[in-house]
This record gives sequence, C-alpha cells and structure tokens, in this order.
Amino acid sequence: MWDSFISLMINILLYIYSFVGQDFGLAIILFTILVRLVTYPLNAQQVKQSQAMQDLQENKKWQAMQKKYKNDKEKLAQEQMALYKELGVNPFGSCLPTLVQFPIIIGLYQAIIRALAVSPLQLLNLSKHISNGADLIPLNNHFLWMDLSLPEKDFGLSIAGYGIPILALIVLITSYVQTKLMTPPSTGGAGDQSAQMTKAMGMYMPIFMGWLAYSFSSGLALYFVVSNLATILQYAITGRLDWSNLLPQRASK
Amino acid sequence: MKTKRFSLIIFTLLFITIALSACASGSRVMASGWAGITTDDETAYLAYNTHVYAIDLANGNLRWRYPSEPDPKITFYAPPALTEDGQLIIGGYDNILYSLNPLNGQVNWTFEGAEGRYVGGPLVTEHGIFVPSTDYRVYALGFNGQPLRDPFPTEAEIWATPGSDSECECVYVASMDHRVYAINAKTGSLSWVTNDLGGALVGTPALSEDRQLYISTFAEEMVALNADNGAELWRFTAQDWVWGGPALGDDTIYFGDLSGAFFALDRQSGVQKWQTQTGSAIVDSPLVTEEAIYLTAENGLLVSVTPEGVNRWQKEFEGNTYSGPVAAGDLILVSTSQPEALLVAFDSNGVQKWTFSDAGE
Repeated sequence: MWDSFISLMINILLYIYSFVGQDFGLAIILFTILVRLVTYPLNAQQVKQSQAMQDLQENKKWQAMQKKYKNDKEKLAQEQMALYKELGVNPFGSCLPTLVQFPIIIGLYQAIIRALAVSPLQLLNLSKHISNGADLIPLNNHFLWMDLSLPEKDFGLSIAGYGIPILALIVLITSYVQTKLMTPPSTGGAGDQSAQMTKAMGMYMPIFMGWLAYSFSSGLALYFVVSNLATILQYAITGRLDWSNLLPQRASK
Repeated sequence: MKTKRFSLIIFTLLFITIALSACASGSRVMASGWAGITTDDETAYLAYNTHVYAIDLANGNLRWRYPSEPDPKITFYAPPALTEDGQLIIGGYDNILYSLNPLNGQVNWTFEGAEGRYVGGPLVTEHGIFVPSTDYRVYALGFNGQPLRDPFPTEAEIWATPGSDSECECVYVASMDHRVYAINAKTGSLSWVTNDLGGALVGTPALSEDRQLYISTFAEEMVALNADNGAELWRFTAQDWVWGGPALGDDTIYFGDLSGAFFALDRQSGVQKWQTQTGSAIVDSPLVTEEAIYLTAENGLLVSVTPEGVNRWQKEFEGNTYSGPVAAGDLILVSTSQPEALLVAFDSNGVQKWTFSDAGE
C-alpha cells in the first residue's frame, strides 16, 4: 500500500521532470508546490481550527472556568467540552488535517530521496517504482550550483578556503521567518509554558533544519526551502501572517 | 518544568532526525552496492562493503583482508582486476583507486585523481589500466598508477566495467549517457561512438570472435553492434531493464532482466531460442561454461541450466544475490549479502564445497 503510494509519487515527480526539460531542481519545486496545492484545503482547515482555539483562549467564559476549576481537573474538562460544543469548536480540528497531511509530506520526501538514487542498490530499488521513463535515467541532478544528490558539505561553495553553506543558510532563514510569521502572539504571562515551548521550538527548529539541509542530500534542502516558502504563502493567503513578529518584541509592561 | 520542556524539544528533533535518516540516501552502514569478484589460480578476491578479501580457493579460508579493520569511509563494490605484473587493482567508494599486493594486501600505490566513486571495475590491457568513474570519465593509467593521458570524457556516470578488444586495441566504454564509446587503447582517441541507444548502459559490453558487440540497456533491450564502426545490427526487446551485460556461448548470447526473465538469443540474428523465468531480478551477467549456464537472481537464487534451457539444479540463499556467478577452476563462486555467507563455492553438480564468512571477524 505504502509502496504503491510512493511509486505514484515517484512517477508524478518523473513526469514533471520530463515535462520541465529534465531539470530535477525545477521538478522538486513544482512537485512540492503541487502537493501543497492538493493539501491546501486541509491546511486551510487546520489554520481555521487553530484560530478558533486561539480565540477561545480569550473567551471570558473560558478564562473564568480556568480559574474556577483550577483544582478540579475533571470538572474543568467537562466544562471545557461543554464550551467547545456551545461554540462549535473541535479541539482536534487542527490536529486531524496535520495527521492526514503527514503521510503525504513523508511520501513527497521519500519520492524525492528515492528518485535521487546515486548508488546501484538505490537505483535498483528505484527501478521497481518506475512504470515508464527508464529513458530518463540517469536523472540530471544538477540545479544552479548544486548536485542535488549530494549533501552541501560535499560540494558547497568556498571563499578563501572557507566553505559557505549557502543552501543551509537559506533553509535556516526561511525556517526562522516561517516560524516567526506563523507564531501567534502569546496571550499568557511569563509563566505561560506553551508560549515558552513555542519560543524555544522557534529558536531550535530553524537551526536543526539548517543542519539537516547541510548534512543530507541538497535535493532535500531544496524541498525544505520551497516547502517553507509555500507554507508562508499559504498562511498569507488565509490572512494569518503576523509580520510584526519579525520585528524585535518590546518587553511587556 | 524546564527539564520537561527541554525533553519534549529533544524528542521532537530526534523524531524528525530518525524519520528522515531512516529513508535517506548515503548511509554508511547500509551497503550501497554488491560484491565484485575476481580470481587467480589459488585465490578469490572479493570486494564487498568495507573490505577487499583474499580467500583461499582450496578451503574458503581468509588469507588477508584490506583494510584489516573496517573504516566506514572506505567501501568497495567495484570488481577488482589482476594485472600480469602481480597487482590487484580495485576502485573504492572514496574516489580512490588502490593497487594492492595480491599476496598480502599491502598497498602498492593509490590514484586519487578521480572526482567520483568507482562503481565499475578497472579493465587491464597491455596498454594500461582503464578505470571508469562516476565523474563521467575513463582514466588511463600506467601500471605504476600514473595517468597516461587526460581522462576520456563521456556525458554521464560510468558504472560498467569497460570491455576490451585486442584485435583493434580498443576499449569499449558503456556509459549511462546511453552511448557506447570505442576508444583507441594506445592513444586514447575516439574511434567511434553510437547514437543514444535509448537507455542507460551499466553492463559490460561483450565482444564475440566475429566482432559483434553486445550491449544491454535500461530501455529493456539487448543491442548488437558492429564492433568496427558501432553500426547497429539488431535489437531484442526483453521484459524489463537489462542491467547485467550478456555472456556468450558458441552461437548464443545469454542474459537476464530485472523482471527475472532469462533469455538465450541467436547471436547472429537476435532471435530468441528459449527463455526461462526466475521470479526475481537478474542484476548481473550469467556464467557460461561448456556444460551449463549459471545465473543468480536477487532473491537469493543460484540456478544452473543446460545450454538448451533445461533446469539442472538450483540453490537458495537467505541473503540477496546480486553479483553474477564466477568460475574458479572447477568451482562456481557466488557472493551473497549475508555476512555468514559472503562467498559460497559449489562444484558443477551443485555440491557445496565451502562457505566464506565474515561474521565476527
């Protein structure tokens, strides 16, 4: 089942590759955009539900019940469920679209990695997924200054003997901007654990993504960049970007 | 609370790392290719994963291995080749070509001029050593490891061991750019090159005595060429990609494809004589002897058939068998992906003689 899904993804990717004049970099970009378009309704629903949950945090009834049943978790849960029902909010509404999207994103990632087959065993494995298009092998992995099948650390540009991980930096920056733009302003105080968690993830995740981009095939890094930009665009379309988040925050009084 | 938060972040990052690395390419632990084997009168030389092994043909005992301890930066999949002056030439995945002493595994010299890995084996001729690289070039080296001239360029990676032709002193290079190049072994100049044959070429071209050159393609075809000018003589369509090069019998060529189909064709006309099905991908060339044909299939099969296509016997292994069988005197050698049975020797009747294991070495 999963293999059939991956085969489908690989064949679509190769079809795009053939369509754009055998440029694998362009194929990755278009394929990522295509998958994002297909999953757009799910993403929009996730954003909408996420907004509803955020609005709920500012609801007076919600805040009151948090104080009132601070020491009675069971009663608090009952009251919360009642309020969810009353306001028509699904607490799992933002999780479900993410769960549905997850296999698609992993499939997209695997399709890219498998199509970049660089060793005999990888190519033999790829041959089992390709229904047509043997004439496209070997794929043209060169895009701009990159060999998409190699990690940037193996071919990165160097100035005066120092390697400049350009792609990893682009991934790091777009990941940071994406995280910042999408992070809702914290409504809690200094002790808000969720806000602190979000802040920490917003700091570590871009560094982590940059490290992955530096260490893994640059085709994957290209996917990260396009994916980040597509996510920013999706949020912009739904009006959910908070550009002020990019500016330094003033200390709250 | 801080500890809890930190743990959650670490868990998330670890999860992403594992999810990505589980299916990412370039793992150094997993094998990237399959074994290459060559033999002399007394020893089999097996290149697989982190070592080149010298194995005593009499009993399957290890004589030496290089390097003595595994170095994850060095892996070998290209078949080694022996020179007449007593060198074992082997290309590594670390872009280095090694000359080893076949008696003890000591390094004679290395060549580090290539920018790509070695997947195809070197071809040894009286004019020098011709080494295909994944940097799209064929390097011509003297027997001291020094380049004889500038490398010969193609337009894609070269995974096939080149074929040789002593009559015209040619080297035939099958490239993944879908073309066969005939290079003058003395001068390095191009004698002829084919048009795009329709698919990548990774099998070693086979040359017949009447100067026909047979080449397998990923376009599911076996193509016969005139070895003097590269003109196409005939094409035969198989059922899937044809990865391994063909082997020649008297008037027959034998090869398998990735669907598991194994074919015998008339050499002159390309007309099919018979076909049999193994049920699993045939990745390398078969072995043709006077009495039988031997072939391996990916799912761990060694099959022996008569020249008429009648099954003689078959053996099953637990690991995968990608490399084709190799003859060594009266023995048929087969390499598997299992560390407990890296090389297994049979006689022509299918009786197992010994097994070489690297488990726990």
